Amino acid sequence: MKINDYTQNLSFRIGSIHIIAFVLLTILGVRLYYLQVVKGEYYSERAENQRIRLIPIPAPRGAIFDRNGKILVDSRPTYNVTLSNEPIKKINVNDRVEEYAMGLNLEPQFVVERLNLIKKQPEFEMMVLKENATIQDISWVEAHILEFPELRVELQPQRFYPHKTILAHVLGYVGEISPKQLEKPEIIAKGFRPGDIVGKGGLEQYYDEYLRGKPGYRKVIVDSRGRVQDEIEVVQPQAGQDLISTIDLDLQLAAEEKLATSATKRGVIVATDPNNGEILVMASQPSFDPNVFIQGSSDPEGRKQIAAYWQDETRPLYNRAIQGRYPPGSTWKIPESLAALQQGVITVKNSNVACGGGIQIGNKFTRCMGSHGSPPLSYAITKSCDGYYYRLALKMKIEGLIEMIETFDFDKRTGVDLPNEKVTQTPKSWMPYILKSEGKWSDIRTVYASIGQDTVVATPISILRAVSSIGVKGRMYVPHFLKEFKPISAIGESGSSGYAPERQGFGFKRPEPKLIPMTPEQEEVMVKGMWGVVNGGGTGAGIRIPNFEIAGKTGTAQVTELGKDTGKLKDHAWFVSFAPAYKPEIAVIALIENVGFGGSHAAPAAKGVYEAYMLKKGISNEAQEIAKK
Amino acid sequence: MAAIIEKRDLRDFDWLTACIAVAIVCFGIWQIHNAQPEMPYWSKQIIGLCIALVALIVVAFTDYRRIIDAAPVFYVGGLILLILVLTPLGVKVNGQQAWLKLPIIGQFQPSEFVKIPVVLMLAKYFGVRQAGTLRLKEIFIGIAILAAPVGLIMLEPDAGQAMTYFPILAVILFLSAVKIRYVVLAIAACLVIVPVAFWIGVQTGKIKQYQIERVNVILDPESADPRGFGYHTVQSMITVGKGGLSGIKGDTETSQSVLKFLPEPHTDFIFAVTAENTGFIGCISLLLAYALLLSRLVAGARDASDRAGMLVIMAITGELAFQIFINVGMVLGFLPVIGVPLPLMSAGLSAVLATFIAIGFVISVKLRRFVN
Repeated sequence: MKINDYTQNLSFRIGSIHIIAFVLLTILGVRLYYLQVVKGEYYSERAENQRIRLIPIPAPRGAIFDRNGKILVDSRPTYNVTLSNEPIKKINVNDRVEEYAMGLNLEPQFVVERLNLIKKQPEFEMMVLKENATIQDISWVEAHILEFPELRVELQPQRFYPHKTILAHVLGYVGEISPKQLEKPEIIAKGFRPGDIVGKGGLEQYYDEYLRGKPGYRKVIVDSRGRVQDEIEVVQPQAGQDLISTIDLDLQLAAEEKLATSATKRGVIVATDPNNGEILVMASQPSFDPNVFIQGSSDPEGRKQIAAYWQDETRPLYNRAIQGRYPPGSTWKIPESLAALQQGVITVKNSNVACGGGIQIGNKFTRCMGSHGSPPLSYAITKSCDGYYYRLALKMKIEGLIEMIETFDFDKRTGVDLPNEKVTQTPKSWMPYILKSEGKWSDIRTVYASIGQDTVVATPISILRAVSSIGVKGRMYVPHFLKEFKPISAIGESGSSGYAPERQGFGFKRPEPKLIPMTPEQEEVMVKGMWGVVNGGGTGAGIRIPNFEIAGKTGTAQVTELGKDTGKLKDHAWFVSFAPAYKPEIAVIALIENVGFGGSHAAPAAKGVYEAYMLKKGISNEAQEIAKK
Repeated sequence: MAAIIEKRDLRDFDWLTACIAVAIVCFGIWQIHNAQPEMPYWSKQIIGLCIALVALIVVAFTDYRRIIDAAPVFYVGGLILLILVLTPLGVKVNGQQAWLKLPIIGQFQPSEFVKIPVVLMLAKYFGVRQAGTLRLKEIFIGIAILAAPVGLIMLEPDAGQAMTYFPILAVILFLSAVKIRYVVLAIAACLVIVPVAFWIGVQTGKIKQYQIERVNVILDPESADPRGFGYHTVQSMITVGKGGLSGIKGDTETSQSVLKFLPEPHTDFIFAVTAENTGFIGCISLLLAYALLLSRLVAGARDASDRAGMLVIMAITGELAFQIFINVGMVLGFLPVIGVPLPLMSAGLSAVLATFIAIGFVISVKLRRFVN
């Protein structure tokens, strides 16, 4: 060095800088070794995880048919606008709310909810922002693809209920799994995730597991903004199984028509095949349109409609056939009569009990609608003599009634294959409360219970199940909708990643019917009484069909004390029946709320179903033909 | 400027240093292509290399002493450029007004070039002094020479570029025989002042939230929000780690930079691209090339015929080493994210040109070591 200066240690100083530079480079080398050689595999995996994404291919849900193959529920292709969380994490979501709401015609509040929800999801999740996108929505998204890379348009098979309000309660609807459901361990165990579509109510819910398909997926490589760059693998979805139901759409439509033209437009009609429990008709009105729940959850008008359904005083979302509990009135006398025969309180030969025009209990006189002397059982049924049953029940005692309740399963659900069935309330279920509040079970309660009032509030389905067993030698079947699930073939090769095994077809696993013990003589006297109701000048004589003999029982159930039973508080009208009387093929129950007498309101409604049944069976209806002429 | 290049010049021309620099740039061009295969950055870099080579040769064959004599002119010119950047002539990129757009010349980053006048100015001032230790007054003049451009750069604001100026002064003061006890004192002061200054900055709000987050990410990269402030660091570490021992093979369509997971792959994060594509082997080779280049520069400094020449080379050496460390340290996730390019590798004409001019000086100094 030519400028060396020993006082300045220049050579040493240059050397120091040289060494420092080398030390810095060595630090970099060590760190590099750690990241690339020691942890290389870990980072490789992380890189793979962030560039590979599974895009689900939704599986079509199984369709639902009526017993004759007519379509009740189907899926049709629609487009959804989806929101992916990958690009949205980096932006302030508040900037987007107004744009989305304007562009897609959504409520800002809903957009905020969705944005907050998607931000909580793990990486690469997607969520539906708008279902059933219109052409305008789709073109808006396409036009803003650079501005809003988080939005995409995806094909989604959507549930479609072509008959709208018809059968709505039976079919139910589908919707996104609720956050509450997602907290349940059994739901988590099945691998459900937010945004999954599940059945809500009705058959959609009860048979969700079978109707639901197994979604497929596309394994793709995405860039940092979530845009698909390449496809690695496609696994096709496996469709859900088609459900053939026991419903007969023609009869159903007839029943719906009858309810719609009834005075209050509120009521229930259920029809079954008493020989096996298959439900042919289940109509409950007022009803709702399940399509509103499918399409409406994201558009403001639909949300308003859904809210209106929930707030409506007439409770359209409620399946009156299995959830409605009404005093059964005189329809209750049928199981009660058979129980009295079984218990030996009366016999087939000696079934006369005094009517007395009513009964005096303490200082209260409870009257009968007529004065029937001391009628035999069949006459008491035909004329619906209350006085007869007041005394009969007092003879049976409340214990006898409770035995009857247990015999006819009124203390249980019928086991119908629908969710949320309610149990009938009876003196058995009320007993503990009455004893607690009143100290004893008084005779007046037994008297009221004898005519299906006061402590008796029954679901229409439970009354139909009990009464229809009378015509088929006491065989009480579980009412059900499932006729058959169609098989679905396997997807993919066994052992491959997307393999979905074949799903077997199956029918309803019908339990053995509960057998109500009944002698042929007892059956005869019971059916005779019920036959008389329609064909022997009884309370349902108005619906007589000459060549199709209906055995039935009317009921007129008070909802309030006598004297106040007008207007909104009018009696509920009941009619429960089966036909042909001596070899039943079909059993029908009709209940019209707050219209008055059963024979003049409920019985004609049931008749509508019978007429539709006859038309299908080719049984000529002379009465109608005469009327036409 | 030398009108005639003599035979002796060609013999003494530091071919090795020039070749290493060119080799690194070529390697860089390959990585820029890997980073952005569909963008024209790599081809622009080739043009940049050609321009830079011409500049290197011109500077190399110019007598550096005359250039050092004219240092004040360059220095003032540099300050004017930095002021112009702040006028409407400046161009804002990513929130930093660091670019100047001039007719004919086009767009460039003056803060890259102004390092050279600053080095020259400091070398001119400290090159004339003789024996004995540095006096306080001299130290303050040195600080003042540095403070003017650094202050202007901070106004852009470009803290990263401003930082790369400090090693220039540090090296020059150190080599101008600042007392060892001052050096120890300065290091100790740094160890105390930097955390305290950071803390005060945080308390008074002078240090912005994103800057705090960038520091936090370094302290704990695994728990940092990988989509927020941790994004650059985490993605950079993933990219480096993924390269493994020998780099990804074949599967270049799904590389971190092509899928845009790695931000700024062709500029600030070019080293991550190198790591992904060539693995540990490629990266270590690159670091060795840098070590070789720095060693050549240091050797050149030792051979310099005068103090000013020695200071020019060592200041540039120190600045290069510092910048390599800051950039690669950031890519490897142990230093905060600061926008400093990797010398010779990152795409960008300004940086390559400035570095080549600096190397041209080194060669020029070496060429004239036997004069006098």
